[in-house]
Amino acid sequence: MKNATRKGFGAVAGAAVLALAASACSNGGSDDASGDTTDAGGQVTIKVSTFNNFGLGAPSDTRPGADLWAKYEAEHPNVKIDEVVAASSDDARAAFNTAISTGTGAYDIQAVDVDWMPSIMAQPDAFVDLGAYAGDNDWLDWKKEQGTTPDGKVVGLGTDIGPEGICYRSDLFAAAGLPTDRAEVATLLGGADATWDKYFEVGQQYTDATGKAWFDSSAAVFQGMVNQIEYSHVDKDGNVIAGTNPDVKAAFDKVTAAALAGQSAGLQQWSDDFNAAFKSDKFATTLCPAWFINNIKGNAGADFTGWDIADVFPGGGGNWGGSFLVVPEQSKVKEEAAKLAAWITAPEQQAAVFAAASNFPSSPTAQADPSVADKTEPFLNDAPVGQIFANRAKAVTVVPFKGAQYFDIQTKMADALNRVDVTKEQSPQQSFDQWLQDVKALS
Amino acid sequence: MTANPVAPDKPQTPPPAHDDAHERRLRARGRRGRLDVRLSPYLYISPFFLLFALTGLFPLIYTAWVATRQWNTITGDGGVAVCGAVCGSTDPSIFANFQWVLNQPAFWDALRNTFSIFLISTIPQLIAALILAAILDANLKAKTFWRMGVLLPYVIAPSAAAIIFSQIFSDQSGLINTFLGWIGVSPVPWHANTLASHIAIASIVNFRWTGYNTLILLAAMQAIPRDVFEASVVDGAGRVRQLVSVTIPMLRPTLIFVIITSTIGGLQIFDEPQMFTQGTSGYGGPNRQFLTVSLYLWDLGFNHVSIGQPNLGRSAAVAWLLFLIVVAFAIVNFLLTRRIASAGGAPARKHHAKEVAR
Repeated sequence: MKNATRKGFGAVAGAAVLALAASACSNGGSDDASGDTTDAGGQVTIKVSTFNNFGLGAPSDTRPGADLWAKYEAEHPNVKIDEVVAASSDDARAAFNTAISTGTGAYDIQAVDVDWMPSIMAQPDAFVDLGAYAGDNDWLDWKKEQGTTPDGKVVGLGTDIGPEGICYRSDLFAAAGLPTDRAEVATLLGGADATWDKYFEVGQQYTDATGKAWFDSSAAVFQGMVNQIEYSHVDKDGNVIAGTNPDVKAAFDKVTAAALAGQSAGLQQWSDDFNAAFKSDKFATTLCPAWFINNIKGNAGADFTGWDIADVFPGGGGNWGGSFLVVPEQSKVKEEAAKLAAWITAPEQQAAVFAAASNFPSSPTAQADPSVADKTEPFLNDAPVGQIFANRAKAVTVVPFKGAQYFDIQTKMADALNRVDVTKEQSPQQSFDQWLQDVKALS
Repeated sequence: MTANPVAPDKPQTPPPAHDDAHERRLRARGRRGRLDVRLSPYLYISPFFLLFALTGLFPLIYTAWVATRQWNTITGDGGVAVCGAVCGSTDPSIFANFQWVLNQPAFWDALRNTFSIFLISTIPQLIAALILAAILDANLKAKTFWRMGVLLPYVIAPSAAAIIFSQIFSDQSGLINTFLGWIGVSPVPWHANTLASHIAIASIVNFRWTGYNTLILLAAMQAIPRDVFEASVVDGAGRVRQLVSVTIPMLRPTLIFVIITSTIGGLQIFDEPQMFTQGTSGYGGPNRQFLTVSLYLWDLGFNHVSIGQPNLGRSAAVAWLLFLIVVAFAIVNFLLTRRIASAGGAPARKHHAKEVAR
C-alpha cells in the first residue's frame, strides 16, 4: 500500500522531469522573436521598438507623426515594418534589457534613450556596427560621440536631441509686471550670459510680487543643472563621486534654497498634479527641451493661450533627452534593419519628424533645412521654434558623462529633492544625508 | 475503468477446496485492483502537478539559484554573490544577496508597509464583505441586480482603478483635497504621510476586492439550510443575533478560505502602490512611504540595471524572502484552520442540528 503510493509519486515526478527537459529543449531550439521574418517571396518584416512618440508612424489625433514607415515601404516593396510603441522609456528599457540578457526576443531596431545608452555602450559586441550604412548621414559632434565606441564602432544612430529653452507664461509675467516679449524675457534672464543665480533672482522677484511659484519642480530644474556638469555622479573611470562632488552639492543647495523660498510649485515630475498644473496658474516657467512642447500642449490643451518660449538657458546651453536607434546582433534581418535605421536618421527624415512632431533633429543638415529652420509654433504664440532650438543646440558645450551608475544615482537624487520640495518632510541637509546613504546602498 | 476487486468474472461454480492457483489469481486481481484504486487518483490529478512543476516549481528553484549569484539583467551570471560595501564583506557566499537585502532599510520599510497595508485593507474588507453578504442574503427585490453590482468593481482592471484613485488622492488637484479645501479643512498629504498613503492604497484594494469576497461569502450563506434560520427566528433571534450566532459559525470553512486568499493577495500587493506612485521614478514614495515588498523586488530587478550590479540576484533574494513569509503565514493559517475545524466547527453544527430538531 505504502509502496504503491510512493511509486505513484515517483512516476509523477519522473514525468515532470521529462516534461521539463522537453520544454527546455524546445525553448532552445525555436523560440526567437525575429524568427520566420523572410517568406518565400523575399518579403522581409522589420520589427521596431519605440516609446513615447518618435513621430515616425502614421499621424493620429493624439500622436503626431511623419508617416515614414509607409514611405519606406513604398520605396522598398519587399519590406514590411512593424512598430511596437511602449508607453514610457522605462517600459521599453525593461523589455529591452530582458531581450538582450536572454539573447532572444529583441526587436530588429531598438530605440534607446540617452539615459540608458551607457548600458548599450558597455557591450558593443551585442550590436551591429552601423557606420558603413549611415555614411551620408551627419550629426552634431557630441551626439555622434555618444553613439560611437572609443575605437570607432558606430553602435547607435542619433534621432533627435533635446536642446532646452525656457518656456514661460506671458500672461502671468504681465500680471507680475515682468516683460512678456520673448526677446526681452531672454535679456531679463541674462541673455547669452544667463546663470542659475540670475534665474533664481528673477524668480524671487516674481514670487515676491505674486505669491506664486516660479518653476514647476525642483527635480526638473536640478536635471537641467546636472546636465551641464561633465562628470556629476560618476567620474570618467566609472568611480562614484556623487557624495564628494562640490558641483552636485552646490546645485542641490541652490535648488532647495529656491524651493524653500517659495519659488517651486512643489510638483513631482510626471505626476497627475504636475500634468494638471500646465493649465493652471501654479507656476510661470519651465525648462523646455524641444520634445517637451508636445507635453505642454497635451497637458494644457491645444487651445490654451499664454505659453511662450524664450531663446535663453541658464548656465549656458543644456540638452535633456534625445534618442538613438540600435540594431542587435541577434536580429535575423540585421542588414535590412541597419539600412532602415540609417534611412530614418538621414537628414530628410529627421527634418520631416520635426515638422510633424517637434522632435528636434540631431543632424546639422536637417537643422539648416528650411522646413526646420523656419518652423513656427502656433501654440507658443507663433514662436520661431526652428530658429530658437538651433541656437539652443549651438549653445550646448558640455556633454555630460553618464556612466553605468548614473541612472540609479540620479533617480535617488530626484527622491531626495522630492522629500524637500514635494512631500516637505525633510530639511535639505537631512535629505542630502539620506541620499548619501542611498548611493552607498547602490554599490 | 476500475475493476471490481472481489467480483469474479467466471460463472459461479463452487471452487474446489484448496485450489491454490485460483486463490492466487484472486489475490493477484485483488492486489491489482487495490493498486488501481490507490494509484488512479494520483494519475488523474497528475496533469495539475506536471503543470505546477513547469510553471511553479521550476521558476521557484531557478529563482533560488539566481538568488545565490551576482546576476545582472544585461550581463547575466557573474559568479557567486558578494555582499559588498553594505556589509563590508567581499567574500563570495551563497547568502550574500540575502545579507545585502536584510541590510537595506528599504527592505524593512517595505515589510512594515506591506503588513500595514495588508491589515488596513483586509480587516475592514472582510467585515464589510460579511455584512454586505448578509444583506444580499436577505429577501431583496431585484436580487441579481444588487449581487452583480457588488462584483462590478472587481471587473475593473486594477490599473484603471488605480488611475481613477490616483486622481482622487492627488495632493494638490485631487478630488478629496479639493473638497476638504471647500469646507476649510487642510489637505491630507496622501503621498507624504505614511499612514495616509496606506489608507489611500487600502481603499483602492477594498474597492476592488470587497465585492469578490462578498459573493464568495454569499454563496456559502445560501448553502446554510433555511430551517436553521427559521428555528432561530422562532427562538426570538434578531438579525444581528442571527448573523453572530448562526451565520458566522456556519460560515467558518469559507471564512478561513477567504482569509487565507486575502492574506496571500495582501502580502503580494503590487499594482495599487505601483500605480499610486506619482510620476515615473521613485517607486513607493520619495521616502519609501508606500514601498511594498513586491514593489521593492520589481524596482530592484527591473529599474536598477546598472552594469556591475547584481540586480536580479538581489531581486531574487527578495522574492525568496517574500515566499518564505507567505509560507509562514500559510502554515499559521493552516494550524488555525485545523484548530477551528476540530474544536469549533463540528460541535457548532451539531448544536444547531439539535436546535432544529427541537
